[in-house]
Amino acid sequence: MLLRLENIAKFYGERPVIRGASLELAAGRTLLLTGGNGAGKTTLLKIMAGLIRPDSGRLTLELAEGEQVGYLGHRTCIYPELSGLENLFFWARLHGLKPGRAALLELMERLGLLPFADERAGIYSRGMAQRLNLARVLLFRPALLLLDEPATGLDTRSRQTLEEEIARAGKAGAGIVWISHRPEEDAAMADEVALLENGRLSLRPAKAAA
Amino acid sequence: MIRPALILARKDLTLLCLRGNGLSQALLLGLLLIFIFSLARGLAELFSAQTAATVFWVSTLFCQVLIFNALYALEEDNGQRQVLLLIPAPVQSIWLGKALAGLALLLAAQAVFVPAVLIFLDQGLEGRTEWAPGLLILADLGLAAAGSLLGAIAQGRAAKESLLSLILFPLLLPLLLAAIRLGAGILSEPPAQEDLASWFRILIGFDCLFAAAGLVLFPFIYNAQE
Repeated sequence: MLLRLENIAKFYGERPVIRGASLELAAGRTLLLTGGNGAGKTTLLKIMAGLIRPDSGRLTLELAEGEQVGYLGHRTCIYPELSGLENLFFWARLHGLKPGRAALLELMERLGLLPFADERAGIYSRGMAQRLNLARVLLFRPALLLLDEPATGLDTRSRQTLEEEIARAGKAGAGIVWISHRPEEDAAMADEVALLENGRLSLRPAKAAA
Repeated sequence: MIRPALILARKDLTLLCLRGNGLSQALLLGLLLIFIFSLARGLAELFSAQTAATVFWVSTLFCQVLIFNALYALEEDNGQRQVLLLIPAPVQSIWLGKALAGLALLLAAQAVFVPAVLIFLDQGLEGRTEWAPGLLILADLGLAAAGSLLGAIAQGRAAKESLLSLILFPLLLPLLLAAIRLGAGILSEPPAQEDLASWFRILIGFDCLFAAAGLVLFPFIYNAQE
């Protein structure tokens, strides 16, 4: 099992945000995480990424040597003074890769960013910045891909590109957890849907949610 | 740990050069301090070498506060901090990367402050000038190690600049004292009976202390909480 949560609980002060959340995710499976505003979805995703420590419970990540976790949050993580390509070079090197320019340009082309590869990322629109952020995550082929509302602010075409790339990552064997506010539409992309409500997590097959 | 730190340091230096605000503000503040102190003396008065060295290191210290705030602010604009924590490298590589970038910027700033002190404070290099490179590097290593740690503490919190200064100054006093004594020995011939080499040992000791504190404490300080 790639990811396993057992009885995870998290409090902000006295307020319980997550109470006894448990789930498992195998490689190549996609889990859609949904719930109302403030339900604790982002907190749970950050716990999965190891960015926030739970107050109780157990998180197990079974990653092979060299496998990594990719986290795509609300913010774009780009350096506006650098070009899109320079941003990707920077993140690639930090992740221990030595990609050639051609490989990065090919990735940017897939995401529709090739014409802007050498432009300052500061001039990118929100949708372009988010696609660059997705490229940042995809370039090291994470074994576990954690996406926090990745489609927010994207137009139809960008959204389609995003879904294609996520599906491609899933087919390549990545486990994916995707926070969505539109479970009816996005359930088609997932194998399972998890609803976080009042701190409790309930799981159901994606077909039932669609 | 070294490779990601160097990648981060290179990126930080590139960004600060492109933004132009990080180092230029720090330089201006330091130069302003030196200039204002130069106005404090009377027409026929001369500053002692120790006073001049004090002005130099105080300018460097203020410069350091601005530099490390600017360096850590780079990761706050678009949420880079949390993804930096996921890179396959020890989290201390972030501390080291910022420290290296800060060290380079401090040395660059001092390349401007040294002639400014000589000119505005009317000093000469009449002492043990051969100590100057060793002093600058050893003192700046300590300033960078501590500045990188405390820059991380101050980042993301209210009134961060003032907080950093408040924490920083008392901790750096022994290091600054050593740097000032040695700096005075470079500007004018030190008294024969004074064992200035012992101040170098203090510098090295505090460099090790701040480096160890950075390596141990940084993972607890620099987290994803916003």
